[in-house]
Amino acid sequence: MSRARAIWLVARRELMERGRSKGFIGSLILTEVFVVGSMLLQATLASGENQIRVGYVGDPPAALAPAMNAVAQRDEGRVELRTYVDRGAAEAALGTDEIGGAILPGDGPDDPGTLLFKAEPDDRVVATVSEAILALRLAEAGVNLSPPAVESIEPVSAADQASFLLANVGVIFLFISIFSFGYWVLSGVVEEKQSRVVEVVLATVRPRDLLMGKVFGIGVLGLVQLLILLVTGLIAAGFVGRIELPATTLPTFAMLLLWFVLGYVLYSTLFGVLGALASRMEEASNVTTPVSFLAMGAYFLSIFVVLNDPDGLVARIASLVPPAAPMVVPMRAALGAIEWWEVVISVVVTVLFIYALFVVGGRVYTGAVLQTGGRMKLRDAWRSAR
Amino acid sequence: MLEVHDLAKRYGNVVALDGATFTAHEGRLVGFLGPNGAGKTTTMRCVFGLATPDRGETRWRGNPIDQPMRLRFGYMPEQRGLYPRMKVGEQLSYFAQHHGLSGRDAKTAAARWLDRFGLADRSGAKLEELSHGNQQRVQLAVALVHDPELLVLDEPFSGLDPIGTATMTEVLRERAAAGVGVVFSSHQLDLVENVCEDVVIIAKGRIVAQGPIDELKRASGRRHLEVEVAGGNGAWINSLGDVQVLEQRGDRVRLLVADTLDLPATLAQAGRAGTIRRFSFEPPALSDLFMEAIGEDGRDTPEVHR
Repeated sequence: MSRARAIWLVARRELMERGRSKGFIGSLILTEVFVVGSMLLQATLASGENQIRVGYVGDPPAALAPAMNAVAQRDEGRVELRTYVDRGAAEAALGTDEIGGAILPGDGPDDPGTLLFKAEPDDRVVATVSEAILALRLAEAGVNLSPPAVESIEPVSAADQASFLLANVGVIFLFISIFSFGYWVLSGVVEEKQSRVVEVVLATVRPRDLLMGKVFGIGVLGLVQLLILLVTGLIAAGFVGRIELPATTLPTFAMLLLWFVLGYVLYSTLFGVLGALASRMEEASNVTTPVSFLAMGAYFLSIFVVLNDPDGLVARIASLVPPAAPMVVPMRAALGAIEWWEVVISVVVTVLFIYALFVVGGRVYTGAVLQTGGRMKLRDAWRSAR
Repeated sequence: MLEVHDLAKRYGNVVALDGATFTAHEGRLVGFLGPNGAGKTTTMRCVFGLATPDRGETRWRGNPIDQPMRLRFGYMPEQRGLYPRMKVGEQLSYFAQHHGLSGRDAKTAAARWLDRFGLADRSGAKLEELSHGNQQRVQLAVALVHDPELLVLDEPFSGLDPIGTATMTEVLRERAAAGVGVVFSSHQLDLVENVCEDVVIIAKGRIVAQGPIDELKRASGRRHLEVEVAGGNGAWINSLGDVQVLEQRGDRVRLLVADTLDLPATLAQAGRAGTIRRFSFEPPALSDLFMEAIGEDGRDTPEVHR
């Protein structure tokens, strides 16, 4: 039987067994609910914030509503003006939160009128209404008072903001996916060792092939989950219509998937190899602590340093360090702060690193996975495999 | 024919194998015996490539054993283990496929062996839901599912109840009759004596005896003489010369004697002492051969945890 078939058999077992497990389906549903839910929640909260409803007792001047909207638009908001016959009707509307504030116009030019609230005055309503009324009055008095025009030398567009958000959220997904599926490889390796089934398996399968098949099978599950998350996230965003997706969305997604694959293979192999040194799950967590710290370090570097200075020296160097690259490069790419050739070099360096990891780690795994009775030292595992 | 030639293996300072050499023929049940830590498991692991010998080699039907060849072998390790949460039928089929069977053939074979062990209705159950005895049966089925040419079983009888022992014996005999090579280790010497044609005895990493049990017995210079003489005082045995009294209880005495003992003369002496109720002259039991073969210093080999 070919080695490829052995690897495929192992991978397929992982896919079938884990893909059907409550753990996988449960975590998928949970993350899905979290992602879509948080988007919907944010969207509803945001739309509520940006809509102001104001009441007016009597007939409002025709220019009032446009004036208030002009003010509100600076915050991408809207104002809805409702009219009431008398103060009592307006108070009733305030009582049921139908409107946020009610304008009681003054009796003459000298009477500025009143802005009535149910309880705590809403600052946004106060500011919007006051500014609009003031502008109207000045216009009536023949004074044209426009505020200065606002301009930026390096304007931040809505698309830029969305890119920023995308980069952030994407790298969080990436980190969580790499970590959780890498951890599955770890627990899989330890379970096989603990249940001793590994001896039966290795009577026909080469140790490296077993590790490779396991990494591959679980990786496919991880990729499927990440894809589902990204696609449903996109759909939810489109449905809500709030986030304007930048043109870089698809390249960013492609980048996230690519680096999920690289990052996952790198970390899960590390987890698997070190996990083989342990004979129980509790030991495995200890043995792999340095790898967990490495992954977290890369993530924090990405969100604290690279995000603020995506084409700085640190970011450039980190892109060439294989354990950091999977979280740094997609972040830079999402922010549009990386050249294509830099990405190519990063990928090549990371792939080479993974290859070396398989050669070295494969030997450690081979030496360690059949040894029982306590935690093994790296050196001993290396030596006992030949 | 399985040939193990000059295998040597060290784990740190512990010598697990020290030039072990033996052969095991197809069609015969071969018992692989030895005290704990003598090197049985390490030998089996070398056959399956799970341990790499420092020296020596293993051959099957004249060729050095390699990975493709191992796919035609069946193995049951001492430390039993399967996937606890995997369904029994799928598990068998999975291992069958690793041995080279197509998906469809693997399914058929899995169903056949489950049926054979009376587990046909448990095919969809997870392994961990089965009783201990049934898990053992599944483990054996994993070793058998691909119709191997060579079966190597590490302590297949340990932990089995009498019914399980009978099933195991039946299956092993049937496989041997089908021309399969069957080698298994065991500490139950009486069972091995009943079941096996051949034995290989290992002590401290070296083979100290091997061959057909009958031949080994015949070759042994010692015999067991058991005599029951009613009315005698037991003093008659003093005239026998060079014998070792193994057991003396009432009128009955068990002696270890040389195979050259003059039987008619002994019988006559016993007859003069009283009425003979029993007189048996037999080769030693396998357990005696075993003790003799491993010698005094072979008995307390340290256990190697590997």
